[in-house]
Amino acid sequence: MLSIRNLHAKINETPILKGINLEINPGEVHAIMGPNGAGKSTLSSILAGRDDYEVTAGEVLYQGQDLLALEPEERAWAGIFLSFQYPVEIPGVKNIYLLKAAVNAMREHRGQPELKAAEFLKLVREKLKIMQMDEAFLHRNVNEGFSGGEKKRNEILQMQLLEPTLALLDETDSGLDVDALRIVGEGINRMRSPERSVLLVTHYQRLLDTVKPDFVHVLADGQIKLSGDYTLAHRLEKEGYEGIEAA
Amino acid sequence: MSGFDTLLQAHASPIAREAQTLGLPTQRVESWKYMPTRTLTRTAWVQAEPRTATGFALTAGQFVKAPDALAVSDAKLTDIESERLDALFHAQGFALTHAALQHQRLVLRVPRSESQTVMLTRLANQAQEAGFATLVIRVEAGAQLTLVESFENSEATDTNLDSLCILWMLERDASGTHIRVQAANDGAHTFTSLDVQVAENASYALQSIDFGSKLARTDIQVTLAGAHARTELHGLAVTSGSQYHDTHLAVDHAVGDTQSAMAFRTMVDGKGEATFNGRVLIRKDAQRSATEQSVANLLLSETGRINPKPELEIYADDVTASHGCTVGNLSQTELFYLRSRGLSEADAKAFLQYAFAEKIVEEIQDQAIREQVEMRLLGELKHGELIAELKDSVDV
Repeated sequence: MLSIRNLHAKINETPILKGINLEINPGEVHAIMGPNGAGKSTLSSILAGRDDYEVTAGEVLYQGQDLLALEPEERAWAGIFLSFQYPVEIPGVKNIYLLKAAVNAMREHRGQPELKAAEFLKLVREKLKIMQMDEAFLHRNVNEGFSGGEKKRNEILQMQLLEPTLALLDETDSGLDVDALRIVGEGINRMRSPERSVLLVTHYQRLLDTVKPDFVHVLADGQIKLSGDYTLAHRLEKEGYEGIEAA
Repeated sequence: MSGFDTLLQAHASPIAREAQTLGLPTQRVESWKYMPTRTLTRTAWVQAEPRTATGFALTAGQFVKAPDALAVSDAKLTDIESERLDALFHAQGFALTHAALQHQRLVLRVPRSESQTVMLTRLANQAQEAGFATLVIRVEAGAQLTLVESFENSEATDTNLDSLCILWMLERDASGTHIRVQAANDGAHTFTSLDVQVAENASYALQSIDFGSKLARTDIQVTLAGAHARTELHGLAVTSGSQYHDTHLAVDHAVGDTQSAMAFRTMVDGKGEATFNGRVLIRKDAQRSATEQSVANLLLSETGRINPKPELEIYADDVTASHGCTVGNLSQTELFYLRSRGLSEADAKAFLQYAFAEKIVEEIQDQAIREQVEMRLLGELKHGELIAELKDSVDV
């Protein structure tokens, strides 16, 4: 589904990614862990199409096509979803406008008919229930005045609605209390399917207890230093990144 | 020389002679620095002919169908009203021209403790026509007035001019709400001068939206004249094509324990130009006063121009004051967020422009007017259709 080959990227003149190689197959959940400043968020941002970064070498193939040549919305239409580490507040625009516009944009590009107001409401109510969110969220401005946990739940709500093929979750667990962590974790688990892949960027092991990844990678200094199965996350928790890097 | 000379000569009054001698302000006058004055000086303005109206309206400098219950037949001014108008008219040459050429002065009065709503429509003048009028509004102690000022919707593009001066006298405990939706036609030169006197524990709220006119200038002077007097002023200018929108605001905290809050936003596209000047004065004895001012400007084209100038003059030492002024383009982070959700770049931009303006529009409490403004706003935006559809389908 996704092949990242020798990816190098810099911001301004500072190299951030220094040769990333990663293969993600359909149905797999990969977790990328690593210390602050390792390039974890840079990687997910580049995959989603943020243009603050300059790719200096390497390539990314998504379902066989050159991902880096696509605009952010084209990537979304192709099934890529990024859950933002810091979801953006848009005062003045109701959440429901964004949700409905996004769902129908996706449907249009999948050749599906637009959802009518009633159909959309039915769908969104279903998803709100899963995320244990009140319907009042729909009529509040996008992320404005949301708590950290509410913003992250809103991201996963969007993911539920947009049904991506590849979900990039950038520190979705940060800023969550225990209950929100469980709701978000279960929300992600519900999305797991043989056709859908997930790339989870995280700092801590705790989300991985709910969302058990198939693979764990350690990203440090712009490169994947170590890959393994789920147990690697536990080793990291015990020994810390420094211990692992030294080994 | 000004384009009003013929009209002023015909009046032959001392004030007309004074106005003719003074002439119109030039761009050397600070408050007229950015004003395009060419059309004003070169058009041979003629007295406008009144048109028929269905309700309370301003046409050709005359008020027609004024609400009987409120109109005061003997329009004799009080001393303070005369003093205020005098000061206003002598502030600069255009105001003096207004004073000399004003066709009618109407006085409305809301009796003690009553609550009223007045809808005033400013009708379009025809080619080269100019109309000048003054409205004095007395809101007596404890009374409330909502004034909704709207404009005739017309496709005309001929150069025309309409100038209205409103003096608001808000007595103690009174409250005034003034909603303006300036949507005059493409040839209109719309002048509006507001002088607002706010007495003890009275309040004045303004929501002023500028969409239309070739040139629209609004001068707003609010004097907080009694303790616990307060004002909340909101304004939005949506400026495009070759429009010029100008708002000059001055809030005077004349006594202590007074409060003002202002939020003004401007969105300029095409070759539009907008000026915002917001001056807040807190006098020496106006202790324990509070003022907040936020000015945000969105410049959407390279050919547009924005001239923002917030000014804060504080002479008292025990005050709370905050102000901020930004000029920028749309946020790349916000654009990316929306595009990553599958919105096209054009739709994402429209979303953010709508959001920018909506922060002011949402202050309009009257739902019907607010929705009208939102629809007009969406019509002004490139690619506003998607949001219009969404509003239609989910706002029930």
